[in-house]
Amino acid sequence: MIQALNDSLIAAAQGLPMTLALWLGGVAIGIVAGFLIGAVRFFAPLALTWPLAALVEAVRGTPFLVQCFLLYFGGPFIGIDLSPVVAGLVALSAYGAAYFSEVFRAGFMAVPKGQLEAARMLGLSRPQTVLRIMLPVMALAVLPSLVNLAVILIKETAVLSIITVPELTFRVQGVGSATFAFAETTLVLALVYWALTEATSWAARGLERRIERRMAA
Amino acid sequence: MNPVLQVRALERRVGDVEILRRISLDVMPGEAIGVIGPSGSGKSSLLRCIAGLDPISGGDVLVEGRTAKPGDGAIGMVFQQFNLWPHLTARDNVALALKVVRGMPAKDADAKAEAALTKVGLGALGARKPAALSGGQQQRVAIARTLAMEPRVLLFDEPTAALDPELTTEVLDVIRTLAASGVTMLVVSHEMGFVASLSTRVVFLDHGVVVQAAPPGEVFGGGGEPRVKTFLKTYLERVAWTKDA
Repeated sequence: MIQALNDSLIAAAQGLPMTLALWLGGVAIGIVAGFLIGAVRFFAPLALTWPLAALVEAVRGTPFLVQCFLLYFGGPFIGIDLSPVVAGLVALSAYGAAYFSEVFRAGFMAVPKGQLEAARMLGLSRPQTVLRIMLPVMALAVLPSLVNLAVILIKETAVLSIITVPELTFRVQGVGSATFAFAETTLVLALVYWALTEATSWAARGLERRIERRMAA
Repeated sequence: MNPVLQVRALERRVGDVEILRRISLDVMPGEAIGVIGPSGSGKSSLLRCIAGLDPISGGDVLVEGRTAKPGDGAIGMVFQQFNLWPHLTARDNVALALKVVRGMPAKDADAKAEAALTKVGLGALGARKPAALSGGQQQRVAIARTLAMEPRVLLFDEPTAALDPELTTEVLDVIRTLAASGVTMLVVSHEMGFVASLSTRVVFLDHGVVVQAAPPGEVFGGGGEPRVKTFLKTYLERVAWTKDA
C-alpha cells in the first residue's frame, strides 16, 4: 500500500506540470476568446452574433468528454490531425471560452445603465466609455464567476486523460493499472486536485478582498 | 435677453402612448425651473428628452439657439441614483471627463475637480471611493462632476428621491446655492417646499401636458389650476401629519 501511494505521488509529480500547463493555457486562451465572443455578442447586431451563439450553445450543450473525443478522433476525418496535448489544449480552451463568454456577456449587461448615461452626458465617446467605465466596473462583477470557472477547468483537465494526454490523471491511473492499487491511486488523485482547487480559491479570495478594500478606500 | 434653453412643441411617443404632448418652454439665463406633477406625468421624460437621452417624436430642443446633443457640453444632468463610477475616487469621477473629453492635462483637471468638490462642500473627501461616501455625499459628487464641465443648463432629475430627510437637506442646500449663484437649471422634485423656495417658475405637468407654468407664489399660493390644487392638497395632507391628542 505504501509502495502504491509512493508510486502514485511520483506519478502525480510527473503529471502535475502538464496539468498546470494545460490548465493555465486553457484558462488564458479561454478568457481571451471568451471575452472577445462575449463582447461581440453584446455589442454587435443580433444578425452577426447568432453563429457565435450557436457555437457557445453547442459547447455548453454537450459533455466535455464527447467534445474531446470528437476533436481527437473525429478531427482527422476533416483534416484536423492534432497530437493529444494540442487537442487537449484546444478542447479545454474552447470549452472554457464558451462559458467565459457567457460570464463576460452577463458582466457587460450588469453595468448599470445610469453609469453609462452619466458618461454619455459628460461627452465620453463609446470607446472611452467601454475602456474607462464598462471594463473596470464589469471586471469587479465577473471576478467571482471567472474564478469559479477556472477552478472547474482544473478538474476538467482530468478528462483529457481519455485522449492520452500525459497529465496528472493519466500518469497516476497508469500506476493503478500496473499495480491494481486503484484505491490508493484514486485517493492521491483526489487529494492533489483538492489541493489545487483550494489553492486557487484561496488565492482568488485574497484577490477579491484586495479589490474590495480598494473599492471601499 | 435670449432664452438659454428653448423647448418647442416637444413630443415623445412610445408606441401608442403619448408621453409628452407638444411641450414648449423658454428658460432664461439664471432661471431655476421647478418641474412638479404626479408620478407618470412625464417629468423625468421631459428632462431626459431635453438631455437627449430619450428620443423625441417631434419638436426641438435648442440651447443658445443650437440643437443640443448629449455630451456636447451644453446640458448637464444629475440623476436620481447618482450614477457615480464605483471604481474611481470622487476626484477621479469629477476629473475623468475633463481629461478624456476636454483633453485637459491631468494636473489641471485634478485641480478643477478639487475646486468643484470644494464648491459642494466635499473638498476633503476627494480621495474616497463612492462606496465610502454617504448617499448625500455621492449626490454632491455627482453635482460636482456635472458642474466641472460648465454646462449652460443643469438638469436635476429627482436628485433627492433616493435619500433620507437629513441627506436630502445637504443636497438641496447645494442646489439652492447654485441657483442663487445664477446657474440655469430645471429641477424635477417631489420636495414641494424646496421647489417653492428655489424656483423662479414652476411647471406642473400631468399626462404629458403643461397644466400650469407660473411663478411659485401663484402655483403654491392657491391661485393654481384645479388639477394643481388637487395635487397640492393631497401632498399637504400627507406631510401635515400631527399626533392625535
